[in-house]
Amino acid sequence: MSTPVARPSAAIRVITGLFHQPYVWAIVALLLLLVVNLTKNPAYLGVSVNAATGNLSGNVIDILRASAPIMMIAVGMTLVIATRGIDLSVGSVMAVAGAVSMEFMRNTGTGSFGTAVVAVLLALGISALLGTLNGILVSIVGLQPFITTLVMMLAGRGLAKVITSGQNTSATNETFRWIANGTFLGFPVVFVIAVLIVAVLAALVRRTALGLMIESIGINPKAARMAGIRPVGILISVYIVSAVLAGVAGIFSTASVMTVEVAKTGMTAEMDAILAVVIGGTSLAGGKFSLTGSIIGALLIATLDKTIVYMSIPSSATPAFKAVVIVIICLLQSPRVRSMFNRRRTRVIITDKETVPV
Amino acid sequence: MAPTSRFRAFTGLALAGTLALSLVACSSGSDEPAASGDDSGELTTVGFVAVGPEGGWRTANEQNIQDAFSTENGFDLKYAPSSNGDQNSQITAFTSFIDEGVDAILLSATEATGWEDVLERAQEAEIPVVLLDRGIEPNDESLYTSRIAPDNVGISASAAEWANEQFPDGANYVVLEGPPGLSVVNDRNKGWDEAVADNLTKLESQSANWSTEEAKSVFETMLKANGNDIQLVFAQNDEMGLGAALAVEEAGLTPGTDVKIITIDGTQAALEALAAGRLSFVAEYNPLFGEDAIEVVNAALAGEDVESSIVVPSTTFDSPEAATAALPDRQY
Repeated sequence: MSTPVARPSAAIRVITGLFHQPYVWAIVALLLLLVVNLTKNPAYLGVSVNAATGNLSGNVIDILRASAPIMMIAVGMTLVIATRGIDLSVGSVMAVAGAVSMEFMRNTGTGSFGTAVVAVLLALGISALLGTLNGILVSIVGLQPFITTLVMMLAGRGLAKVITSGQNTSATNETFRWIANGTFLGFPVVFVIAVLIVAVLAALVRRTALGLMIESIGINPKAARMAGIRPVGILISVYIVSAVLAGVAGIFSTASVMTVEVAKTGMTAEMDAILAVVIGGTSLAGGKFSLTGSIIGALLIATLDKTIVYMSIPSSATPAFKAVVIVIICLLQSPRVRSMFNRRRTRVIITDKETVPV
Repeated sequence: MAPTSRFRAFTGLALAGTLALSLVACSSGSDEPAASGDDSGELTTVGFVAVGPEGGWRTANEQNIQDAFSTENGFDLKYAPSSNGDQNSQITAFTSFIDEGVDAILLSATEATGWEDVLERAQEAEIPVVLLDRGIEPNDESLYTSRIAPDNVGISASAAEWANEQFPDGANYVVLEGPPGLSVVNDRNKGWDEAVADNLTKLESQSANWSTEEAKSVFETMLKANGNDIQLVFAQNDEMGLGAALAVEEAGLTPGTDVKIITIDGTQAALEALAAGRLSFVAEYNPLFGEDAIEVVNAALAGEDVESSIVVPSTTFDSPEAATAALPDRQY
């Protein structure tokens, strides 16, 4: 598979390399969705400077902004899934983080920079606490991740409702608002923050042995333990990371409208996160994971959501449309279908190098 | 080894127990006033199958019902909010009220369909059922005693008439709907579509699930898809209208002049926005009908005839001045 056929040029090697990645179909689907949008309006991909606000504006910018919270929870979910776990509580943690920060800013009443910083720290702190609880229950107590995080999902939303006394809470704070609506060098701040966080995390798991340890726990926990890897610390850390990232996502989505909607913020976000991970080619059975894949998955989900509105697909048909697209991608990624394609494609590459589809 | 594993099992149980307790504590936080003991023999027991936290309007409505059906008024109200709008949790609460043998049931259904079976069971048990706010489909009036609600069709028709006046030369508009399938959504669409003038062009209609965040994201894309050529938004609740206003501001346009936004409900947040000129028209959907509900329940229990549909009167606010005047006494 990986032996180069008659030394192809660098570009072709990159492309063929890409074709061996599990997330290739997600990229194809992403491009297809963009093409679908382009058929409605050839200027779809255009980015312009908004005369009134001075910021970059365009559909692509909107997609980047919308993908940031999904990216956060998807990356956390990837690490948890790699250890053979699952984190169903991310949506509820989003609501808790949003509720804590909104309630704090509403009660302190000052719109100052300091208030925003404390609100962010409080939100991340309580998220980390919930993540620690998840991690301890899974690793030390040995409860199943599904049950543990399901309980946390229900308890978390309850907690969010208690924090705001069941009300949708709004607050005003320009700094906090800037996180979701501001721009940095023309790009949405949310996206920049998300990319930075992902880059740091990726360096942490790929430049050290941490990623390998996480994978080994997912592939064979017993063998990993015998090889000297202590699973408890790693498991607790991944659940904390997942919860803190969910907290960041919660801040992103509440800051966007400066309101926490306790029954809606982060609702079904866990499904989006799991979908992004699966689309990105990480197996739910644990083991090998791909952060890049999950990020592409998150971008795909955001693009899909935006396409549905852009193409004016009627609201009653949207869940079905979303489901069809995702089923197709998952089908294309299944090992059986992929092996069929692999056989066909090898022949194509050998016989006709110049017309490799991009 | 043995004691450790037993200890582990014990800590597991203890932790699970703590979590379960905290869960119970969370869900029962809001119904404390209802739990007034079983020894109050003369009180009329009323089960309230409610929606639970959803938005400003719902909170005001359910608080008003709970305040009205107080112990002082001779009621023992059992408040059962749904878990995040799930109909199954409502059906479970409904059947357990029938099994408990309550005197009457109040129902605010999260979904319009699928209520026939449980309503028939209530009928067999001779428990009067009063629908609050949300209706059922198919609307079989023999299945329930009465429905108390503001008139959704009339309210959105009044909003459409205002739009007709504002845009005599026509305009492009979009609709931000609630989740498809709700009777509220169907009624609000019906009233609007019947009354709106032909020269107003509906570009599209999308669901934003009653949510500010989703409405902002949806309307931001609608503006892009139509090259900002949208003059009017009909948002079927206040929260979505406020989200649309944020999207308008984000796009560098001015709500009120470039894009006029109509919302339904009339919560305090919406009136504040109307006073500030960010919304253009707010049609009230009056949530305060606890007293009407008491009258209906008493009449039904006394065996009197009750009207099958009772309309709660509502007003509209079409200017910042009207909103400013109404704000000080706003209860929700």
